[in-house]
Amino acid sequence: MTEIRDVLKPAFINLDLQATDKQAAIRELANTFVHKGAVTNDSVYLDAVMKREEESTTGIGFGVAIPHGKSAAVTEPSLGFGRSQAGIEYDSMDGKPVHLMFLIAVPETSNDEHLKILSKLSRKLMHEDVRQKLMTVADVEEIYQIFE
Amino acid sequence: MKIVGITSCSTGIAHTYMAAENLEIAGKKRNIEIKVETQGSIGSENVLTEQEIADADAVIIAASTSVNKDRFNGKRLLEVDVTEAIDHPDDLFDRAPKAAIYSTAAEVKSEAKVEKSGIYSHLMTGVSYMIPFVVAGGICIALAFAFGGINAKGELASAINELGGIAMGLMWPILGGYVAFSIADRPGLVPGMVAGMIASSMNAGFLGALLGGFLAGYTVYWLKKVLKLPSAFSGLLPVLILPVVSVLFVGLVMKFIVGIPITALNEGITNWLNSLSGMNSVLLGLLLGGMMAIDLAGPIGKAAYFFGVASLTNLGAGETSMVMAAVMVSGMVPPLAMALSSTVLGKNLYSKEEREAGKSAWVLGLSFISEGAIPFAAADPLRVLASVTVGSAITGALSMIFKCGIAVPHGGFFVFLIPGAVENVLLYILALAIGTAVSGFLVTAVKVFSQKKQAAKE
Repeated sequence: MTEIRDVLKPAFINLDLQATDKQAAIRELANTFVHKGAVTNDSVYLDAVMKREEESTTGIGFGVAIPHGKSAAVTEPSLGFGRSQAGIEYDSMDGKPVHLMFLIAVPETSNDEHLKILSKLSRKLMHEDVRQKLMTVADVEEIYQIFE
Repeated sequence: MKIVGITSCSTGIAHTYMAAENLEIAGKKRNIEIKVETQGSIGSENVLTEQEIADADAVIIAASTSVNKDRFNGKRLLEVDVTEAIDHPDDLFDRAPKAAIYSTAAEVKSEAKVEKSGIYSHLMTGVSYMIPFVVAGGICIALAFAFGGINAKGELASAINELGGIAMGLMWPILGGYVAFSIADRPGLVPGMVAGMIASSMNAGFLGALLGGFLAGYTVYWLKKVLKLPSAFSGLLPVLILPVVSVLFVGLVMKFIVGIPITALNEGITNWLNSLSGMNSVLLGLLLGGMMAIDLAGPIGKAAYFFGVASLTNLGAGETSMVMAAVMVSGMVPPLAMALSSTVLGKNLYSKEEREAGKSAWVLGLSFISEGAIPFAAADPLRVLASVTVGSAITGALSMIFKCGIAVPHGGFFVFLIPGAVENVLLYILALAIGTAVSGFLVTAVKVFSQKKQAAKE
């Protein structure tokens, strides 16, 4: 059974993002994918993400953004979580800065199990209590608990 | 209040689900009964049933992709971008009950009332994908005749003729493939197309291709149900296991089980026809004519056609064959009769697609491309085949009575135009016209009759 842990690995979680603008924040989180080999070529992957951003912003409001890219440079479906207490300038739909960022990387072809995880997680994010908890958690285990 | 919705986004990974969840949250808050179908990269989930759609007060489609709205004919339908459902779902609930009523183009209403369910809808899916191939292929072949004479002489004409043959030949895999696709979704396509191709190569005609399509569709449908793999291997199912297993199973069944009686039928009829020498020529014309129509270039029609072609082999210079003449002219009847019925006599009995196919069936019929009638026959086999067989048989017999003769195996109307190519050309055309009229009226009448009977039942 695939679980959230298989996609959102501890190494992909950064509870204190340094970047304050959109592009830098995405790059900061994407680097964790590269370190673990989940993404082989970061500029190809980042291109895919930024292209998606050009279509329409993934800053969906309530301080949440879910940038995502589908690319052959991705070896396994991965999810990164970055938090910024200060807020990231993101050009969100509601104009407010982003505090919770989920960066999604999907290969050109991937099995449904992983996509189902991402779909469940997306649904969870729409609940206010989930978002509040994410703002206050102190360690990785707590994050898994929220999503399980 | 009850509301149903669909969400979908271009990558189908996150927004689709966030929008669905937000609609559900907002609906719950307002005591609205809501169900949202998600069309994401996993496929459709939480699919709306017909009942749920019928019961709903309004429909919300929040999508950045194009969503098929056919299901929502006659419902209040609000269509917005997927981000709107994430950003302000409440607002959508206010707007949806006041939204305009969606209706599929007025065209649909005037069309023949058809029961779009089960086997019939699979059949129609296959037929609708096949029609353009028949039309493109047939018209190209006719064009080649027009440019290069009945033997498509010249580089351009022969190239167009070849193109036409290729497009026409693809109709079989397309028919089999999309019948199976309709039953079993994407995995059905491979075995369905293979089955259609096999049907074509063994002269099993459109009935063989249809049979193959259904066999492939239900095989895959069943395989998807019984094959359960551990999740680590589940990715292999659509790309490796389903295609290979279904092609092997369907292909071998087509070849060794379906194929045997079809080949036997074809050979048996050929031998039987050869034993008929000396038979009354009018009866022979009646028989050959009927055979040309009864399965539209299937095993029986092919046997009749090659019997005609064989009669050309021992002709002396300047001689013509009455057998070949009867075969060709009766093979022109089915598409012409269906064209007559669908574009003149009974327009409202046919779907828009069929009426369009009917227009090109005029050209196909005149070019002796019996396949022009296949879209109609596949959609309603019994009534269409019976009707066209009667007219074709009459035409075949008349051609014999009028002592018409030709010396070439194809070309249709283009042969008529060559001075001296057809013995008794005017009577030949008369024979064609009579058979076409008989079949055209007959098929229109039985279709009207069956619709009335259907209406009386309801």
